[in-house]
Amino acid sequence: MDKQFITRGVQRCSTGKFLSWMLPWAVLLAFGLLSAGLCLIKGLNQTNMDNRFAFGLWIFLDLTVIALGAGAFFTGFLLYILKVKELRAVINSAVVIGLVCYSGAVCVLAVDVGQPLRAWFTFWYPNVHSMLTEVTFCISCYLTVLMIEYLPIVLKNRQLREVPSFLLFEHELHKLVYVLAGVGTFLSFFHQGSLGGLYGVLRGRPFAFREGLAVWPSTFFLFILSAAAVGPSFILLTTWLVEKISRKRLVRPEVFRLLGRISGLLLAVYTLAKSVDTLIWINRTSPESGFAAWQYYSWKPFGTWILFAEIVLFGLLPALILLTPRLRLHTGWLVSAAALACFGVALNRFVMTVQTLALPTLSFDPFLSYFPSWQEVGTFLAVVAYGVLVYSFSFRYFNLFPEERELKLQMAAQEEEAALAGRY
Amino acid sequence: MLPWNYGFEWNAAHIIFLGAFYTVLVVVATTVVSALIRARRDLGAKETEAIRWHSDFEELPVSDRVCRHVLTGEFRERTCPNAFDCRHCETHGKWIEHHPMAQHPEFEEDVLGMAFPLDRFYHRGHTWARPEEDGTVTVGIDELGERLLGVPDAVELPAPGARIQTNGTAFRVHKRDADVRILSPVDGEVIETGGPGRGWYLRVKPDATGEPAFRHLLRGAEVKAWLNREMERLQLALVSEGAAPTLADGGVPVDDIAASYPEADWDAVCGEMFLE
Amino acid sequence: MKRYGMSIDLDRCNGCGACMVACAVENNIPATPENSNDRKGITWIRVYKIDNKEQFPDRRSAFVPVLCQQCGHETPCVHVCPQQAVDVDPATGIVGQMPERCLGCRYCMAACPYHARYFNWWDPKWPAGMEKALNPDVAPRMRGVVEKCNFCHGRWHAAKERAAIAGKREIDPADYVPACVEACPTGALRFGDLNDPAVEVARDAKTPESFRLLEKLGTEPKIYYRSEREWVREIANAPRPGKENVRG
Repeated sequence: MDKQFITRGVQRCSTGKFLSWMLPWAVLLAFGLLSAGLCLIKGLNQTNMDNRFAFGLWIFLDLTVIALGAGAFFTGFLLYILKVKELRAVINSAVVIGLVCYSGAVCVLAVDVGQPLRAWFTFWYPNVHSMLTEVTFCISCYLTVLMIEYLPIVLKNRQLREVPSFLLFEHELHKLVYVLAGVGTFLSFFHQGSLGGLYGVLRGRPFAFREGLAVWPSTFFLFILSAAAVGPSFILLTTWLVEKISRKRLVRPEVFRLLGRISGLLLAVYTLAKSVDTLIWINRTSPESGFAAWQYYSWKPFGTWILFAEIVLFGLLPALILLTPRLRLHTGWLVSAAALACFGVALNRFVMTVQTLALPTLSFDPFLSYFPSWQEVGTFLAVVAYGVLVYSFSFRYFNLFPEERELKLQMAAQEEEAALAGRY
Repeated sequence: MLPWNYGFEWNAAHIIFLGAFYTVLVVVATTVVSALIRARRDLGAKETEAIRWHSDFEELPVSDRVCRHVLTGEFRERTCPNAFDCRHCETHGKWIEHHPMAQHPEFEEDVLGMAFPLDRFYHRGHTWARPEEDGTVTVGIDELGERLLGVPDAVELPAPGARIQTNGTAFRVHKRDADVRILSPVDGEVIETGGPGRGWYLRVKPDATGEPAFRHLLRGAEVKAWLNREMERLQLALVSEGAAPTLADGGVPVDDIAASYPEADWDAVCGEMFLE
Repeated sequence: MKRYGMSIDLDRCNGCGACMVACAVENNIPATPENSNDRKGITWIRVYKIDNKEQFPDRRSAFVPVLCQQCGHETPCVHVCPQQAVDVDPATGIVGQMPERCLGCRYCMAACPYHARYFNWWDPKWPAGMEKALNPDVAPRMRGVVEKCNFCHGRWHAAKERAAIAGKREIDPADYVPACVEACPTGALRFGDLNDPAVEVARDAKTPESFRLLEKLGTEPKIYYRSEREWVREIANAPRPGKENVRG
């Protein structure tokens, strides 16, 4: 029915099946929009955040989602600046994922702040000493860049391409894509870092507070490293997921292995840096604030297991798996390690938000607990649903995986050979 | 944000921060605007067809982009760097200087049961161009192409007076779910249009005449080698687009191939064969 | 150049909470809806109860009023606000909050180690009849912004007006007293200019029993607490998990 909108030569399921896939996600989106609407109309009392837990589920998930969306800039950097040609196979998908992650995060932020209509104040009266200002500027600029990078993907749709001005604009824009990739890398470097930089001024939270180089605390660099490390992993994970759901081969196995290797390498560097940073924090930064590091982990349920889990289980382990060539040959190992890495970054962001706020600072404060309300969960599920809907739509009508066609022909050639071999 | 705002000071932090921000904005805006301007310019210079063909060419699988000399076995391995426009290819120019093509005495070449007359030149997108005595060029679809399309459901021909470019769109054909653009073998102005029943599709007044104008088209001994490869490609396309695996071991394609493969994605097969 | 601060005598505070009530009335603090918990209410000054963790008959308690500590060095909330909605007034040393500019991002609340900042989770609403008790000199805040103690800024403005009318350059210290200090029945709260050696508060700040909360963080708060009891002075330090702190 809508075949003329689908890229020639690739197969997509029937329109009816597509709609029945989209429907539950649309329903989830509707529910999520209702939750968000409640928060916007009735106020943030709809959440379970309070004066002690000023940041909750949304900020934690925003940080995670932005770290996972780092694959977009990093793949662009590797492909267009460092000329790693194999990544052409996943760049379109990475851009869509990045767009979905960042736009989703920005939408959640709009609901999270008490006065969303005042968002422009940050641009008008920026406080250049605050890392949050930097984050706001960078993320807004980067979202714009991502939207511009998404445009050629849209314009290459089979029908839209027939319009000469679209064809030509896409062609000319693609010639300059390295500029956008460079700007995207620059912006991402800074906002991924600034999200970590938020902790450089948090003297009042010695659990999270870090010192570093001039205005940049160690968490600035750790956040960039972890985002760059987990970006390729997330792309690996999502590509594999899309292959499974659509039951098609979309990229060559070499691409998976390359993504795994890049991720493993950066993850190893990150784990090392994080371990060094943790040691410095335990022995110097924290004691200087009057807090002994061990005591943070005496408050249940956040024992030292969480530190061990973050660095060893979800950091060192996937790094080692991804760095072992023999294990990289198996998709099962690749995907599991990628999932572990993604979870590790989520855990790190959780520790830096929820655990940080749960721990007492004043000696007469208790340990605090927080559990999100259904409105908060609903708002976040809206982002997930929105992401799936946009990605599914893009997967159906745009050419997200340029290698799909060639792989299809390859498989056909193999089938022919097999048939021939079987005959004789 | 701006010097007169509350809290703004002319210090290093403000200058670096806001400087970086404005620079990024300017760079991004410049990129988009210059892409728009260039696109406008391309539109005016009628570069659409050339750019479309280059874009389509890049998306062909590597195996489909082999140099014509690989087809004939003269080269072992070479991917065409000129989007099949051999007129500007140095390598091709040098090769035919030293290895002029032998003339075949037969009037017609019978390749796999299909007629490929030697009085015309063949485009890799399965069109042919025949120079006439009055200086015009006739353009048609070759026999394999005609068998692929059978009797077309619809044809969109350009109006007389329209310009066509080599490797650009000559006309469009519809068959079943296929909607393909047929590539033009020559540059020129359309004088007259034909149709499926008339054996030819376009009569064109070419921009250039003589041998160099047709340098990029296949002729003579190249045709058979190319056709064999094309049959392999067709076979592969049929299998990958949903036809049951068949073994083309010397069979002749029927008059209406589409009818024999009702379950195949005919649009994809035609797209593959007509190089769209 | 004034540096307004407070000296709080923890040996005198009996936990009556008059300061909390006076603050709420003076500053038009909205009532917190019934179904909320105590972590969502706005209490610019809040009295905590501490004890010496001993068993009967050695158990002793004390009460600690905590308000914005008016940090003087690398003020965390000033540093982190993306819109410059918080600043330190160089003339008074008071950390001021502009609710009209506040975006409600709550970064300052995460940054404040003293938990002295409060968010308007609801639209401000007063039960019927209570609006008659509103203070006309203080603007109420809207939903979605952060607020905190500002040493009753309205009273400082009133004191300056009175001084201007009387033709004086400096305000009369007796004219400018925050509501909590005024209301305290035991005189545990004392307010004044820390730079002025003649003022009681400045002298109190220098005694050996004086301490400030979490001094090692380096925020230089201007609220000095004092107590003759050693175990009370311990609260200045970082929390150590005792059995009661551990959940489960």
